[in-house]
Amino acid sequence: MGTVVRELQRDLESKANDLNKLQKDIAKNHQVRKKYTIQLGENELVLKELDLLDKDANVYKLIGPVLVKQDLAEANANVRKRIDYISAELKRLDATLQDLEDKQNSKKDAVLKLQQRIQSLQAGKAKA
Amino acid sequence: MEEKAVKGTVTSLSSLFPAEAAHMASKRVEFTIGEKREELNRLNDFVADNTNLINLVQKLPDHLHHDIMVPFGKAAFFPGRLIHTNEFLVLLGDGYYADQTCKQTVDILKRRGKMLQSQVDSLNAVMQDLKAEASFFDTTAFEAAEGLVEIREDYAEENSTERAHESGALEHSSPEADDNKGAVEDEDEEYARMMSRLDELEKEELAAESDSEVDDDEQTNATESDEQIDEVDQNEADADEISDEDFPDHNLIDLQERQPRKPPQQTKDENTITEYSKNKYHHHGDFSDKSTEFTARPLPKDEMPHGRNLTHNVKSNPTENPFLQTGVKDRVESVPSSGNAVSVQTSKPKFDGSKAFTGSIVERTHNLPTNSWGQSTSSQSSGSQPSKPLSRFKMQRK
Repeated sequence: MGTVVRELQRDLESKANDLNKLQKDIAKNHQVRKKYTIQLGENELVLKELDLLDKDANVYKLIGPVLVKQDLAEANANVRKRIDYISAELKRLDATLQDLEDKQNSKKDAVLKLQQRIQSLQAGKAKA
Repeated sequence: MEEKAVKGTVTSLSSLFPAEAAHMASKRVEFTIGEKREELNRLNDFVADNTNLINLVQKLPDHLHHDIMVPFGKAAFFPGRLIHTNEFLVLLGDGYYADQTCKQTVDILKRRGKMLQSQVDSLNAVMQDLKAEASFFDTTAFEAAEGLVEIREDYAEENSTERAHESGALEHSSPEADDNKGAVEDEDEEYARMMSRLDELEKEELAAESDSEVDDDEQTNATESDEQIDEVDQNEADADEISDEDFPDHNLIDLQERQPRKPPQQTKDENTITEYSKNKYHHHGDFSDKSTEFTARPLPKDEMPHGRNLTHNVKSNPTENPFLQTGVKDRVESVPSSGNAVSVQTSKPKFDGSKAFTGSIVERTHNLPTNSWGQSTSSQSSGSQPSKPLSRFKMQRK
Protein backbone atom coordinates (compact mmCIF):
# COMPACT_ATOMS: atom_id res chain seq x y z
CA MET A 1 0.00 0.00 0.00
CA GLY A 2 2.67 2.47 1.00
CA THR A 3 4.72 1.81 -2.09
CA VAL A 4 1.74 2.43 -4.33
CA VAL A 5 1.14 5.80 -2.76
CA ARG A 6 4.78 6.69 -3.03
CA GLU A 7 4.85 5.76 -6.68
CA LEU A 8 1.76 7.74 -7.35
CA GLN A 9 3.25 10.73 -5.65
CA ARG A 10 6.38 10.48 -7.72
CA ASP A 11 4.24 10.26 -10.80
CA LEU A 12 2.32 13.29 -9.71
CA GLU A 13 5.49 15.26 -9.16
CA SER A 14 6.85 14.51 -12.60
CA LYS A 15 3.51 15.35 -14.17
CA ALA A 16 3.37 18.64 -12.28
CA ASN A 17 6.86 19.45 -13.55
CA ASP A 18 5.76 18.73 -17.09
CA LEU A 19 2.78 20.98 -16.61
CA ASN A 20 5.00 23.77 -15.34
CA LYS A 21 7.26 23.40 -18.33
CA LEU A 22 4.29 23.55 -20.66
CA GLN A 23 3.01 26.65 -18.99
CA LYS A 24 6.39 28.29 -19.35
CA ASP A 25 6.44 27.39 -23.02
CA ILE A 26 3.04 28.89 -23.49
CA ALA A 27 4.11 32.09 -21.78
CA LYS A 28 7.17 32.28 -24.01
CA ASN A 29 5.03 31.65 -27.04
CA HIS A 30 2.75 34.46 -26.00
CA GLN A 31 5.65 36.82 -25.70
CA VAL A 32 7.05 35.93 -29.11
CA ARG A 33 3.62 36.28 -30.57
CA LYS A 34 3.25 39.71 -29.08
CA LYS A 35 6.57 40.77 -30.55
CA TYR A 36 5.59 39.53 -33.97
CA THR A 37 2.22 41.21 -33.77
CA ILE A 38 3.88 44.51 -32.99
CA GLN A 39 6.30 44.03 -35.87
CA LEU A 40 3.47 43.18 -38.18
CA GLY A 41 1.67 46.36 -37.22
CA GLU A 42 4.82 48.39 -37.76
CA ASN A 43 5.45 46.84 -41.15
CA GLU A 44 1.91 47.44 -42.24
CA LEU A 45 2.35 51.07 -41.24
CA VAL A 46 5.56 51.25 -43.26
CA LEU A 47 3.83 49.72 -46.24
CA LYS A 48 1.04 52.25 -46.03
CA GLU A 49 3.51 55.12 -45.86
CA LEU A 50 5.57 53.71 -48.71
CA ASP A 51 2.46 53.49 -50.82
CA LEU A 52 1.74 57.13 -50.08
CA LEU A 53 5.24 58.32 -50.97
CA ASP A 54 6.07 60.08 -54.22
CA LYS A 55 7.37 57.89 -57.00
CA ASP A 56 10.77 59.60 -56.96
CA ALA A 57 11.18 59.81 -53.21
CA ASN A 58 14.49 58.72 -51.73
CA VAL A 59 14.11 55.74 -49.45
CA TYR A 60 16.83 54.45 -47.16
CA LYS A 61 17.17 51.35 -45.08
CA LEU A 62 19.14 51.38 -41.88
CA ILE A 63 21.47 48.42 -41.96
CA GLY A 64 23.65 48.39 -38.90
CA PRO A 65 25.24 51.82 -38.64
CA VAL A 66 24.67 52.89 -42.25
CA LEU A 67 21.74 54.14 -44.23
CA VAL A 68 21.62 52.30 -47.53
CA LYS A 69 19.70 53.92 -50.29
CA GLN A 70 17.02 51.72 -51.72
CA ASP A 71 14.69 51.77 -54.63
CA LEU A 72 11.13 52.56 -53.62
CA ALA A 73 9.82 49.50 -55.47
CA GLU A 74 12.47 47.34 -53.90
CA ALA A 75 11.68 48.63 -50.44
CA ASN A 76 8.03 48.04 -51.08
CA ALA A 77 8.68 44.45 -52.16
CA ASN A 78 10.90 43.88 -49.15
CA VAL A 79 8.29 45.13 -46.73
CA ARG A 80 5.63 43.02 -48.37
CA LYS A 81 7.84 39.97 -48.12
CA ARG A 82 8.48 40.70 -44.50
CA ILE A 83 4.79 41.05 -43.78
CA ASP A 84 4.14 37.71 -45.47
CA TYR A 85 6.88 36.14 -43.42
CA ILE A 86 5.59 37.54 -40.17
CA SER A 87 2.05 36.48 -40.96
CA ALA A 88 3.25 32.94 -41.68
CA GLU A 89 5.23 32.98 -38.46
CA LEU A 90 2.21 34.15 -36.52
CA LYS A 91 0.14 31.36 -37.98
CA ARG A 92 2.79 28.84 -37.02
CA LEU A 93 2.90 30.24 -33.51
CA ASP A 94 -0.85 30.00 -33.27
CA ALA A 95 -0.71 26.35 -34.23
CA THR A 96 1.98 25.55 -31.66
CA LEU A 97 0.10 27.51 -29.05
CA GLN A 98 -3.01 25.49 -29.70
CA ASP A 99 -0.99 22.33 -29.46
CA LEU A 100 0.61 23.40 -26.21
CA GLU A 101 -2.70 24.35 -24.70
CA ASP A 102 -4.18 20.99 -25.58
CA LYS A 103 -1.24 19.29 -23.97
CA GLN A 104 -1.55 21.49 -20.93
CA ASN A 105 -5.20 20.64 -20.51
CA SER A 106 -4.60 16.92 -20.77
CA LYS A 107 -1.75 17.19 -18.27
CA LYS A 108 -3.96 19.14 -15.92
CA ASP A 109 -6.59 16.45 -16.08
CA ALA A 110 -4.00 13.79 -15.42
CA VAL A 111 -2.64 15.68 -12.44
CA LEU A 112 -6.12 16.18 -11.06
CA LYS A 113 -6.90 12.46 -11.37
CA LEU A 114 -3.69 11.52 -9.68
CA GLN A 115 -4.38 13.89 -6.82
CA GLN A 116 -7.83 12.39 -6.35
CA ARG A 117 -6.45 8.88 -6.37
CA ILE A 118 -3.84 9.75 -3.81
CA GLN A 119 -6.43 11.40 -1.65
CA SER A 120 -8.78 8.44 -1.81
CA LEU A 121 -5.93 6.08 -1.08
CA GLN A 122 -4.87 8.11 1.88
CA ALA A 123 -8.42 8.27 3.13
CA GLY A 124 -8.71 4.50 2.78
CA LYS A 125 -5.49 4.08 4.66
CA ALA A 126 -6.68 6.29 7.45
CA LYS A 127 -9.85 4.21 7.74
CA ALA A 128 -7.91 1.02 7.71
CA MET B 1 -45.47 24.19 -0.21
CA GLU B 2 -43.84 20.85 -0.54
CA GLU B 3 -43.71 21.21 -4.28
CA LYS B 4 -41.84 24.48 -3.96
CA ALA B 5 -39.15 22.86 -1.89
CA VAL B 6 -38.65 20.34 -4.66
CA LYS B 7 -38.56 22.97 -7.37
CA GLY B 8 -36.16 25.46 -5.87
CA THR B 9 -32.57 25.14 -4.79
CA VAL B 10 -30.98 27.42 -2.26
CA THR B 11 -27.26 27.92 -2.37
CA SER B 12 -25.40 30.42 -0.36
CA LEU B 13 -23.35 32.68 -2.56
CA SER B 14 -20.28 32.23 -0.45
CA SER B 15 -20.20 28.50 -1.28
CA LEU B 16 -20.30 29.28 -5.00
CA PHE B 17 -17.87 32.17 -4.86
CA PRO B 18 -15.86 32.22 -1.67
CA ALA B 19 -15.30 35.77 -0.51
CA GLU B 20 -11.53 35.39 -0.61
CA ALA B 21 -11.60 34.10 -4.17
CA ALA B 22 -13.79 36.98 -5.27
CA HIS B 23 -11.44 39.38 -3.54
CA MET B 24 -8.49 37.81 -5.27
CA ALA B 25 -10.22 38.00 -8.62
CA SER B 26 -11.07 41.64 -8.12
CA LYS B 27 -7.51 42.32 -7.06
CA ARG B 28 -6.21 40.68 -10.18
CA VAL B 29 -8.53 42.71 -12.32
CA GLU B 30 -7.43 45.84 -10.50
CA PHE B 31 -3.85 44.94 -11.22
CA THR B 32 -4.65 44.52 -14.89
CA ILE B 33 -6.40 47.87 -14.87
CA GLY B 34 -3.28 49.40 -13.37
CA GLU B 35 -1.19 47.90 -16.14
CA LYS B 36 -3.56 49.19 -18.77
CA ARG B 37 -3.53 52.59 -17.16
CA GLU B 38 0.23 52.69 -17.39
CA GLU B 39 0.01 51.74 -21.01
CA LEU B 40 -2.56 54.44 -21.56
CA ASN B 41 -0.29 57.00 -19.93
CA ARG B 42 2.52 55.93 -22.19
CA LEU B 43 0.29 56.24 -25.21
CA ASN B 44 -0.85 59.66 -24.10
CA ASP B 45 2.78 60.68 -23.79
CA PHE B 46 3.28 59.49 -27.34
CA VAL B 47 0.32 61.52 -28.50
CA ALA B 48 1.66 64.63 -26.78
CA ASP B 49 5.11 64.04 -28.25
CA ASN B 50 3.60 63.60 -31.65
CA THR B 51 1.64 66.84 -31.51
CA ASN B 52 4.70 68.68 -30.26
CA LEU B 53 6.72 67.25 -33.11
CA ILE B 54 4.07 68.29 -35.61
CA ASN B 55 4.20 71.84 -34.27
CA LEU B 56 8.00 71.89 -34.46
CA VAL B 57 8.11 70.49 -37.96
CA GLN B 58 5.55 73.01 -39.09
CA LYS B 59 7.60 75.83 -37.60
CA LEU B 60 11.00 74.80 -38.90
CA PRO B 61 10.67 75.95 -42.52
CA ASP B 62 9.68 79.42 -41.36
CA HIS B 63 13.35 80.35 -41.40
CA LEU B 64 16.15 79.49 -43.76
CA HIS B 65 18.35 78.40 -40.86
CA HIS B 66 18.15 78.03 -37.12
CA ASP B 67 20.91 78.56 -34.58
CA ILE B 68 20.90 75.53 -32.33
CA MET B 69 23.05 73.68 -29.84
CA VAL B 70 24.20 70.43 -31.38
CA PRO B 71 24.55 67.51 -29.00
CA PHE B 72 28.01 66.03 -29.18
CA GLY B 73 28.51 62.79 -27.37
CA LYS B 74 26.63 62.28 -24.16
CA ALA B 75 27.30 65.44 -22.23
CA ALA B 76 28.62 68.04 -24.64
CA PHE B 77 26.92 70.57 -26.87
CA PHE B 78 28.37 72.97 -29.34
CA PRO B 79 26.69 75.80 -31.21
CA GLY B 80 25.60 74.98 -34.70
CA ARG B 81 23.25 75.95 -37.38
CA LEU B 82 20.31 74.05 -38.78
CA ILE B 83 20.02 74.47 -42.53
CA HIS B 84 17.85 72.84 -45.18
CA THR B 85 14.90 73.42 -42.94
CA ASN B 86 12.43 71.92 -45.36
CA GLU B 87 14.12 68.55 -45.67
CA PHE B 88 13.39 65.78 -43.25
CA LEU B 89 14.64 62.24 -43.09
CA VAL B 90 11.65 60.46 -41.66
CA LEU B 91 11.78 57.07 -40.02
CA LEU B 92 8.87 55.12 -41.39
CA GLY B 93 9.49 52.21 -39.06
CA ASP B 94 11.43 48.96 -39.27
CA GLY B 95 14.60 50.73 -40.34
CA TYR B 96 13.11 52.41 -43.36
CA TYR B 97 13.76 56.11 -43.86
CA ALA B 98 12.51 58.51 -46.49
CA ASP B 99 13.46 62.01 -47.59
CA GLN B 100 10.44 64.21 -47.10
CA THR B 101 9.42 67.82 -47.13
CA CYS B 102 7.88 69.54 -44.16
CA LYS B 103 4.37 69.08 -45.47
CA GLN B 104 4.78 65.41 -46.22
CA THR B 105 6.33 64.90 -42.82
CA VAL B 106 3.42 66.58 -41.14
CA ASP B 107 1.05 64.35 -43.08
CA ILE B 108 2.91 61.26 -41.95
CA LEU B 109 2.93 62.47 -38.38
CA LYS B 110 -0.76 63.22 -38.48
CA ARG B 111 -1.50 59.73 -39.76
CA ARG B 112 0.60 58.39 -36.94
CA GLY B 113 -1.33 60.54 -34.51
CA LYS B 114 -4.58 59.04 -35.79
CA MET B 115 -3.20 55.56 -35.24
CA LEU B 116 -2.23 56.49 -31.70
CA GLN B 117 -5.62 57.97 -31.06
CA SER B 118 -7.37 54.81 -32.19
CA GLN B 119 -5.11 52.82 -29.91
CA VAL B 120 -5.96 55.11 -27.03
CA ASP B 121 -9.65 54.70 -27.75
CA SER B 122 -9.46 50.91 -27.83
CA LEU B 123 -7.46 50.91 -24.63
CA ASN B 124 -10.06 53.09 -22.98
CA ALA B 125 -12.78 50.67 -24.03
CA VAL B 126 -10.81 47.75 -22.61
CA MET B 127 -10.35 49.61 -19.36
CA GLN B 128 -14.04 50.32 -19.13
CA ASP B 129 -14.76 46.61 -19.51
CA LEU B 130 -12.20 45.76 -16.88
CA LYS B 131 -13.65 48.29 -14.50
CA ALA B 132 -17.10 46.80 -14.93
CA GLU B 133 -15.62 43.39 -14.23
CA ALA B 134 -13.85 44.66 -11.15
CA SER B 135 -16.99 46.23 -9.76
CA PHE B 136 -18.83 42.97 -10.39
CA PHE B 137 -16.20 41.03 -8.50
CA ASP B 138 -16.27 43.55 -5.70
CA THR B 139 -20.02 43.32 -5.30
CA THR B 140 -19.84 39.54 -5.47
CA ALA B 141 -17.23 39.49 -2.76
CA PHE B 142 -19.29 41.84 -0.66
CA GLU B 143 -22.45 39.82 -1.10
CA ALA B 144 -20.67 36.55 -0.38
CA ALA B 145 -19.25 38.04 2.79
CA GLU B 146 -22.70 39.24 3.78
CA GLY B 147 -24.07 35.71 3.49
CA LEU B 148 -26.40 36.24 0.56
CA VAL B 149 -28.09 33.12 -0.77
CA GLU B 150 -29.00 32.32 -4.30
CA ILE B 151 -32.45 30.83 -4.81
CA ARG B 152 -32.84 29.00 -8.02
CA GLU B 153 -36.27 27.90 -9.16
CA ASP B 154 -36.89 26.43 -12.57
CA TYR B 155 -39.64 28.22 -14.38
CA ALA B 156 -41.62 25.45 -16.09
CA GLU B 157 -45.29 26.18 -16.53
CA GLU B 158 -46.04 23.10 -18.61
CA ASN B 159 -44.35 20.81 -16.18
CA SER B 160 -46.48 22.05 -13.35
CA THR B 161 -49.70 21.65 -15.33
CA GLU B 162 -48.66 18.16 -16.35
CA ARG B 163 -47.95 17.36 -12.79
CA ALA B 164 -51.31 18.75 -11.87
CA HIS B 165 -52.95 16.43 -14.34
CA GLU B 166 -51.13 13.53 -12.86
CA SER B 167 -51.93 14.35 -9.28
CA GLY B 168 -55.62 15.17 -9.55
CA ALA B 169 -57.66 16.25 -12.54
CA LEU B 170 -60.74 17.37 -10.68
CA GLU B 171 -58.97 19.56 -8.22
CA HIS B 172 -56.98 21.46 -10.76
CA SER B 173 -59.32 21.53 -13.69
CA SER B 174 -61.25 24.63 -12.68
CA PRO B 175 -58.26 26.88 -11.98
CA GLU B 176 -56.69 25.68 -15.18
CA ALA B 177 -59.74 26.61 -17.20
CA ASP B 178 -59.76 29.96 -15.48
CA ASP B 179 -56.17 30.40 -16.42
CA ASN B 180 -56.87 29.62 -20.03
CA LYS B 181 -59.81 31.95 -20.11
CA GLY B 182 -57.74 34.64 -18.52
CA ALA B 183 -55.07 34.19 -21.11
CA VAL B 184 -57.56 34.55 -23.94
CA GLU B 185 -59.03 37.64 -22.35
CA ASP B 186 -55.59 39.04 -21.88
CA GLU B 187 -54.86 38.55 -25.52
CA ASP B 188 -58.08 40.23 -26.57
CA GLU B 189 -57.49 43.12 -24.26
CA GLU B 190 -54.00 43.59 -25.52
CA TYR B 191 -55.16 43.53 -29.10
CA ALA B 192 -57.85 46.11 -28.39
CA ARG B 193 -55.35 48.31 -26.63
CA MET B 194 -52.95 48.10 -29.51
CA MET B 195 -55.61 48.97 -32.01
CA SER B 196 -56.85 51.92 -29.99
CA ARG B 197 -53.31 53.18 -29.65
CA LEU B 198 -52.80 52.88 -33.39
CA ASP B 199 -56.02 54.78 -34.01
CA GLU B 200 -54.89 57.49 -31.64
CA LEU B 201 -51.56 57.81 -33.40
CA GLU B 202 -53.26 57.99 -36.77
CA LYS B 203 -55.53 60.75 -35.56
CA GLU B 204 -52.62 62.67 -34.18
CA GLU B 205 -50.76 62.34 -37.41
CA LEU B 206 -53.73 63.61 -39.39
CA ALA B 207 -54.19 66.54 -37.05
CA ALA B 208 -50.53 67.45 -37.27
CA GLU B 209 -50.63 67.31 -41.05
CA SER B 210 -53.63 69.59 -41.38
CA ASP B 211 -52.13 71.98 -38.84
CA SER B 212 -48.89 72.28 -40.66
CA GLU B 213 -50.68 72.82 -43.94
CA VAL B 214 -52.67 75.69 -42.51
CA ASP B 215 -49.54 77.17 -41.04
CA ASP B 216 -47.76 77.00 -44.33
CA ASP B 217 -50.59 78.68 -46.12
CA GLU B 218 -50.74 81.48 -43.63
CA GLN B 219 -47.05 82.01 -43.78
CA THR B 220 -46.90 82.16 -47.53
CA ASN B 221 -49.78 84.60 -47.57
CA ALA B 222 -48.10 86.82 -45.06
CA THR B 223 -44.82 86.86 -46.90
CA GLU B 224 -46.53 87.49 -50.18
CA SER B 225 -48.35 90.51 -48.89
CA ASP B 226 -45.13 91.77 -47.36
CA GLU B 227 -43.40 91.39 -50.63
CA GLN B 228 -46.12 93.25 -52.39
CA ILE B 229 -45.79 96.16 -50.02
CA ASP B 230 -42.08 96.08 -50.50
CA GLU B 231 -42.51 96.20 -54.22
CA VAL B 232 -44.71 99.24 -54.00
CA ASP B 233 -42.17 100.96 -51.80
CA GLN B 234 -39.41 100.08 -54.13
CA ASN B 235 -41.32 101.43 -57.07
CA GLU B 236 -41.71 104.72 -55.31
CA ALA B 237 -38.08 104.78 -54.37
CA ASP B 238 -37.05 103.89 -57.85
CA ALA B 239 -39.08 106.74 -59.22
CA ASP B 240 -37.21 109.07 -56.93
CA GLU B 241 -33.90 107.63 -57.93
CA ILE B 242 -34.68 108.01 -61.57
CA SER B 243 -35.38 111.65 -61.04
CA ASP B 244 -31.97 111.83 -59.45
CA GLU B 245 -30.39 110.36 -62.44
CA ASP B 246 -32.11 112.71 -64.74
CA PHE B 247 -30.22 115.41 -63.01
CA PRO B 248 -27.07 116.06 -65.00
CA ASP B 249 -24.62 116.01 -62.18
CA HIS B 250 -24.30 112.53 -60.81
CA ASN B 251 -21.36 113.50 -58.73
CA LEU B 252 -23.62 115.15 -56.27
CA ILE B 253 -25.34 111.99 -55.33
CA ASP B 254 -22.11 110.24 -54.80
CA LEU B 255 -20.66 113.10 -52.91
CA GLN B 256 -23.54 113.45 -50.56
CA GLU B 257 -23.45 109.86 -49.65
CA ARG B 258 -19.82 110.05 -48.87
CA GLN B 259 -20.14 112.98 -46.59
CA PRO B 260 -19.61 112.33 -42.93
CA ARG B 261 -22.44 112.64 -40.52
CA LYS B 262 -21.50 115.66 -38.61
CA PRO B 263 -23.73 118.38 -37.35
CA PRO B 264 -23.98 121.23 -39.78
CA GLN B 265 -21.97 124.36 -39.14
CA GLN B 266 -19.18 122.28 -37.76
CA THR B 267 -15.83 123.32 -39.10
CA LYS B 268 -13.99 120.79 -41.08
CA ASP B 269 -10.30 120.38 -41.17
CA GLU B 270 -8.56 120.59 -44.45
CA ASN B 271 -7.66 116.99 -44.38
CA THR B 272 -11.15 115.66 -44.63
CA ILE B 273 -12.07 118.12 -47.27
CA THR B 274 -9.30 117.02 -49.49
CA GLU B 275 -10.34 113.51 -48.83
CA TYR B 276 -13.78 114.28 -50.05
CA SER B 277 -12.53 115.74 -53.19
CA LYS B 278 -10.34 112.76 -53.66
CA ASN B 279 -13.24 110.44 -53.13
CA LYS B 280 -15.26 112.38 -55.54
CA TYR B 281 -12.68 112.22 -58.23
CA HIS B 282 -12.04 108.63 -57.52
CA HIS B 283 -15.65 107.75 -57.96
CA HIS B 284 -16.05 109.84 -60.98
CA GLY B 285 -15.21 106.89 -63.14
CA ASP B 286 -17.93 104.74 -61.65
CA PHE B 287 -20.82 106.83 -62.80
CA SER B 288 -21.77 104.90 -65.84
CA ASP B 289 -21.96 101.78 -63.73
CA LYS B 290 -23.83 103.47 -61.00
CA SER B 291 -26.56 104.94 -63.04
CA THR B 292 -27.53 101.54 -64.33
CA GLU B 293 -27.16 99.87 -61.00
CA PHE B 294 -29.19 102.51 -59.37
CA THR B 295 -32.27 101.52 -61.21
CA ALA B 296 -31.58 97.84 -61.36
CA ARG B 297 -30.91 97.08 -57.75
CA PRO B 298 -33.75 96.16 -55.46
CA LEU B 299 -34.14 98.76 -52.78
CA PRO B 300 -34.90 97.87 -49.22
CA LYS B 301 -37.79 99.65 -47.62
CA ASP B 302 -35.76 101.99 -45.52
CA GLU B 303 -33.92 103.11 -48.56
CA MET B 304 -36.82 105.14 -49.75
CA PRO B 305 -36.60 108.19 -47.52
CA HIS B 306 -32.95 108.41 -48.19
CA GLY B 307 -33.53 108.59 -51.89
CA ARG B 308 -36.02 111.39 -51.38
CA ASN B 309 -33.63 113.21 -49.21
CA LEU B 310 -31.01 113.06 -51.88
CA THR B 311 -33.36 114.43 -54.42
CA HIS B 312 -34.15 117.28 -52.18
CA ASN B 313 -30.53 118.05 -51.55
CA VAL B 314 -29.52 117.89 -55.09
CA LYS B 315 -32.27 120.13 -56.21
CA SER B 316 -31.61 122.68 -53.55
CA ASN B 317 -28.07 123.10 -54.72
CA PRO B 318 -28.34 122.98 -58.44
CA THR B 319 -25.64 125.48 -59.15
CA GLU B 320 -22.93 123.96 -57.12
CA ASN B 321 -19.80 122.81 -58.79
CA PRO B 322 -18.75 119.66 -57.13
CA PHE B 323 -15.27 119.82 -58.48
CA LEU B 324 -14.41 122.79 -56.37
CA GLN B 325 -13.35 122.38 -52.82
CA THR B 326 -15.42 125.30 -51.70
CA GLY B 327 -18.38 123.72 -53.27
CA VAL B 328 -17.72 120.59 -51.36
CA LYS B 329 -17.52 122.46 -48.16
CA ASP B 330 -20.73 124.28 -48.84
CA ARG B 331 -22.44 121.04 -49.51
CA VAL B 332 -21.21 119.54 -46.34
CA GLU B 333 -22.58 122.35 -44.35
CA SER B 334 -25.79 122.87 -46.19
CA VAL B 335 -27.10 119.37 -46.24
CA PRO B 336 -29.78 118.94 -43.65
CA SER B 337 -31.00 115.43 -43.31
CA SER B 338 -33.29 115.49 -40.37
CA GLY B 339 -35.98 113.75 -42.34
CA ASN B 340 -33.56 111.07 -43.25
CA ALA B 341 -32.50 110.28 -39.77
CA VAL B 342 -36.01 110.17 -38.39
CA SER B 343 -37.45 108.04 -41.09
CA VAL B 344 -34.57 105.68 -40.97
CA GLN B 345 -35.04 105.32 -37.28
CA THR B 346 -38.59 104.23 -37.62
CA SER B 347 -37.89 101.62 -40.21
CA LYS B 348 -35.91 98.58 -39.41
CA PRO B 349 -32.65 98.41 -41.23
CA LYS B 350 -32.00 95.42 -43.37
CA PHE B 351 -28.39 94.59 -43.11
CA ASP B 352 -26.96 92.59 -45.91
CA GLY B 353 -23.61 91.30 -44.77
CA SER B 354 -23.18 89.06 -47.74
CA LYS B 355 -22.46 91.98 -50.01
CA ALA B 356 -18.78 92.56 -50.35
CA PHE B 357 -17.31 96.00 -50.45
CA THR B 358 -16.92 96.97 -54.04
CA GLY B 359 -16.43 100.68 -53.74
CA SER B 360 -19.46 101.31 -55.90
CA ILE B 361 -22.70 102.82 -54.76
CA VAL B 362 -24.50 99.51 -54.74
CA GLU B 363 -22.64 98.18 -51.80
CA ARG B 364 -23.15 101.23 -49.71
CA THR B 365 -26.84 101.45 -50.24
CA HIS B 366 -27.34 98.30 -48.26
CA ASN B 367 -25.07 99.15 -45.41
CA LEU B 368 -25.90 102.77 -45.26
CA PRO B 369 -29.21 102.67 -43.43
CA THR B 370 -27.76 100.56 -40.69
CA ASN B 371 -24.97 102.93 -40.07
CA SER B 372 -27.13 105.98 -40.11
CA TRP B 373 -29.62 104.32 -37.86
CA GLY B 374 -27.06 103.48 -35.25
CA GLN B 375 -25.41 106.85 -35.46
CA SER B 376 -28.48 108.97 -35.61
CA THR B 377 -29.61 107.66 -32.27
CA SER B 378 -26.29 108.53 -30.76
CA SER B 379 -26.20 111.95 -32.30
CA GLN B 380 -29.73 112.62 -31.14
CA SER B 381 -28.95 111.58 -27.65
CA SER B 382 -26.10 114.01 -27.58
CA GLY B 383 -28.51 116.74 -28.56
CA SER B 384 -27.00 117.67 -31.86
CA GLN B 385 -28.95 117.69 -35.06
CA PRO B 386 -29.16 114.39 -36.87
CA SER B 387 -26.84 114.33 -39.74
CA LYS B 388 -26.20 112.45 -42.85
CA PRO B 389 -25.54 108.79 -43.32
CA LEU B 390 -22.02 107.60 -43.53
CA SER B 391 -20.70 104.83 -45.59
CA ARG B 392 -18.73 102.06 -44.02
CA PHE B 393 -15.88 103.07 -46.22
CA LYS B 394 -15.86 106.48 -44.63
CA MET B 395 -16.14 105.19 -41.12
CA GLN B 396 -13.07 103.10 -41.52
CA ARG B 397 -11.10 106.10 -42.52
CA LYS B 398 -11.89 108.07 -39.46
